[in-house]
Amino acid sequence: MNTHQRTNWRGYAFIAPATIYLVIFSLLPIVFAGYMSLHRWHLLKPDKPFVGLANFQTLAADPFFRNAVFNSFVYAIASVPLGVVTSLAVALLVTRRLRGVGVFRTLFYIPGICSQVAISMVWIWILLPETGLINYCVGKVNGWIAGAGLADSGLIPTTTNFLQEPGWAMAALVAMSLWIGLGPRMIIFVAGLQNISEELYEAASLDGCTGAKSFWHITLPQLAPTTLFVTVTTTIAAFQLFTPVYMMTKGGPQRTTDVVLYHIYKEAWQKFELGMASAQSYVLFAMIVLIAAVQLWLMRGGLATEEAR
Amino acid sequence: MNRSVVQLLVLVGVVAGTWPAGCARQDGEDAIVLRVANWGSPAVEQDFMKVEREIWGEFERAHPGVTVRVEQIPGLGQYAPKLIMMHVSGSVPDVIHLDASSAAVFIDNDVLMDLTPFIERDRSFELDRYFENVVKIARRGDKLYAIPLDFTPMVMYYNKKLFDDAGVPYPRDGWTWAEFRHAAEKLTVFPQGARHPTQYGFNFENHMPLWVLWLWTNGGDVLNPDGTRASGYLDGPASIEAMQFLVGLMQPANGQAQVAPSLAERAAAGVDLFLDGRAAMDLKGHWMMINYRARNFDVGVVTLPTNNIEPVTVIYEAGLSITKLARHPEVAWEFIKYITSAEVQKRRVATGLAISANKQAADHFAGNPVEDAFLRAVRYARPPWGARVETYELCEDLGREMMEDIQYSGVPVEEAMRRKAKLMDAVLTEH
Amino acid sequence: MSAVGHPVRRCVGRSLLYLALVVITVTTVLPFVWMFFTSLHHKDAQLPTIDNLFTPEGGYHFGNYEYVLTFGELPVWRFAVNSCVVTCGVVVFQLTLCSLAAYGFARLRFRGRDAVFFVFLLTMMIPAQVLVVPLFAIVRNFGWLDTYWGLIIPYPYLSTAFGTFLLRQFFLTVPRSLDDAARLDGCGDLRIFWHVILPSAKPALATVGAFAFIWTWTDFYWPLLASSSTTMRTLEVGLSVFSDAYAGTMWALQMTAATIVLIPVLIFFLGMQRFFVRGIVQSGIKG
Repeated sequence: MNTHQRTNWRGYAFIAPATIYLVIFSLLPIVFAGYMSLHRWHLLKPDKPFVGLANFQTLAADPFFRNAVFNSFVYAIASVPLGVVTSLAVALLVTRRLRGVGVFRTLFYIPGICSQVAISMVWIWILLPETGLINYCVGKVNGWIAGAGLADSGLIPTTTNFLQEPGWAMAALVAMSLWIGLGPRMIIFVAGLQNISEELYEAASLDGCTGAKSFWHITLPQLAPTTLFVTVTTTIAAFQLFTPVYMMTKGGPQRTTDVVLYHIYKEAWQKFELGMASAQSYVLFAMIVLIAAVQLWLMRGGLATEEAR
Repeated sequence: MNRSVVQLLVLVGVVAGTWPAGCARQDGEDAIVLRVANWGSPAVEQDFMKVEREIWGEFERAHPGVTVRVEQIPGLGQYAPKLIMMHVSGSVPDVIHLDASSAAVFIDNDVLMDLTPFIERDRSFELDRYFENVVKIARRGDKLYAIPLDFTPMVMYYNKKLFDDAGVPYPRDGWTWAEFRHAAEKLTVFPQGARHPTQYGFNFENHMPLWVLWLWTNGGDVLNPDGTRASGYLDGPASIEAMQFLVGLMQPANGQAQVAPSLAERAAAGVDLFLDGRAAMDLKGHWMMINYRARNFDVGVVTLPTNNIEPVTVIYEAGLSITKLARHPEVAWEFIKYITSAEVQKRRVATGLAISANKQAADHFAGNPVEDAFLRAVRYARPPWGARVETYELCEDLGREMMEDIQYSGVPVEEAMRRKAKLMDAVLTEH
Repeated sequence: MSAVGHPVRRCVGRSLLYLALVVITVTTVLPFVWMFFTSLHHKDAQLPTIDNLFTPEGGYHFGNYEYVLTFGELPVWRFAVNSCVVTCGVVVFQLTLCSLAAYGFARLRFRGRDAVFFVFLLTMMIPAQVLVVPLFAIVRNFGWLDTYWGLIIPYPYLSTAFGTFLLRQFFLTVPRSLDDAARLDGCGDLRIFWHVILPSAKPALATVGAFAFIWTWTDFYWPLLASSSTTMRTLEVGLSVFSDAYAGTMWALQMTAATIVLIPVLIFFLGMQRFFVRGIVQSGIKG
């Protein structure tokens, strides 16, 4: 009893600073946003009537909000699995004993250290029709094919306007997210891989468990907490996609990249309807919580604290 | 571990040591700090900023005990949100620069002070020194919320060299759409075998504040005169005809040649085609003169072509306002008076960014054919919708989408306009 | 995997691995090559194409850097100092909060622990767009607007919950036998935290520190809101005036500004690399 009480007290002491901090700077604003979501809350109009759940009802019937939710799901479903798998693969690659692998690890990280505003400008160039990097390369390939006498030089069009054609624009955003997120996610996986005790592999190799087998039986289970973390945070980030949309597509073409957060931004900072924007935020919040809960449940092995006891 | 602890302590020391720099700046009892907000963009003009700095310094010297603190708010579209957040939290600058295109949000929500009491009290100030058409942007009934600083009407620029090379006579004020199209066709170079023209008669950009003028020059408009409805206006016959004409410039159809870059071609160029010498005409404002002068670009200026109606254009303007929560309104008024005075204005506008709203200062530059053309445009210029309709920015977003629907998705012009008019109605009636 | 394989197979395998590494490198680095070389074009030049990227008209214009760094109305060095102070402040502050809380969540038992942890996670899941309104009011009530406090403390993004979550996940993988041994030696929780957990989780600490550093350094939105005078601007905000100039996009100057913001982070990251690498050398995985 005595030791238990002591642990109790110390536990609270350790989490107190972060908890107090989050209560003031995070929970308080979140609760306030909940309060706003129940009102018709124009930032500048003195009259802010209580409307109950009317904002949420409006949202349920709003085709454009539904479209934004749909787009956010499309983006998340495309970018999260791809992002997690590619960065795990690359992390495995750069933790091999290869000469100069550290240099590559650094180089892979560079996209992750640049501001999203600057990155977006660079990607606008990459994606331009004709003069952009991708279309330029396509043109070169066309040239080689034609040079080899295989086909006409205009085989593949070089005029694809990635940011302006429905379908392509979302694909471009997904590609960009893979590119930006590769380094940060890879580093977390690398740190996780480093934490796996060498002895486990040694013991397993004595049992003849090497190569692919050791990956499935040791690496993946041991990496579960890391994978869980990366998956959950990547999902959250996917649903909170904003800057690239704001800089590159403005939600277009034909609202195919109008994701929820961009929608919220317009509601809050172009219309100043904070009540409605808060309601939208709460819907997004609920979606993320639900999905994260499912992920936590599916990978509950990665969350448990007590299995060592 | 020890070394890391030391490093950590050093770091904390550095942080703590530099802290007072931020905190010590508390306003004393007698020292008056006049906070002035502007948007950051013109800062890129070194000369302009130098002049501004000198002017603020002179104001400080003339008013001992007053310090002017300029707060720049850079970033795309961040100006109004940040100011409004400052207003709501009760810490807003005394003087703000008011952009005509987003003025309604500030004026109609009680963020600004009515300046008429200041004007009535102050005998040294005469409102009729300023262009009436510019002053009225910030007027609501008998109240006035900003003193105009500078402005620009939108005009048609033309590249004289390209006109000379093609043997096309320069356009003249009061010209028509037909004449415009005729000239543009002659100025378009589309070599055989090329994918698209190497030179365009007209430079088009999908920026609604600019292309809305094609509706106006056909007698059409986006909204009804009250600014409460788009149906029947954006999708009215005059607007549809204008949009068909405009889209016809970019898409060869009905035997008519393409004379302006399509959205895709414009995106591929990634540059200002007019500035690059690859487009002969461009619809822009005075701010471009800085670039043209820097490059010794020989441009002419002419009114916008109309479809056989009286000339019309829009004025984009910056004014100075005092906020309702200003701590030093009297000093703010002195500041505004000083900055908008003819003497100061002459120096400010010499850099070419815009035209002074002070007639005396504007006249100072008269005699130059380009400046005269701008001044002539003031007479028939109208304020932008954003000066009167709070949510007009959202309508402009819809306008940009509409152009994309037409060009990228092949939605027929009429259909696209009808759809967006409905959406604009929704945006407008929510308030 | 092929440590015991045939030498030729091993050689081919290695070459393929290197090929993969090189291909990824090209995709991650090429855009920055473009960024840098665009910054060497004349400031009034048009958007470079690949054909003239490396051969700008009139040679390389290193003058853009001088132009931006000595720009009359922008105290760029002051911006840099602000960025350093703010970033270091956020890193120290967040690392302290996060590692303490992560230890509590990973190692100690107390009533309501999992519920509190779940609330921590929840705070990451709501977007900051609407939260800035109440947050701005709170910061103003503390009198922190336009001060370093306001720029450092209320960092309105994932970082605290994110960092706590990440560190907790790593603390979980530190073998409990280490704590138990220390506890037998009479160590309390603070000493276990300091002498056992933190040293074994260095790569994770470096990771959280790096994230906090990069996010703070490159953030635009919060420092724009929290600071108003030019002297309190960070590099990212201060140099953003080059990106929304009146006359369209000034590619060369914008990329110059972007490069200037990027270089310190790059140097920092190269320095941090040491920590990541050491972990590897200690416990090289597989062969």
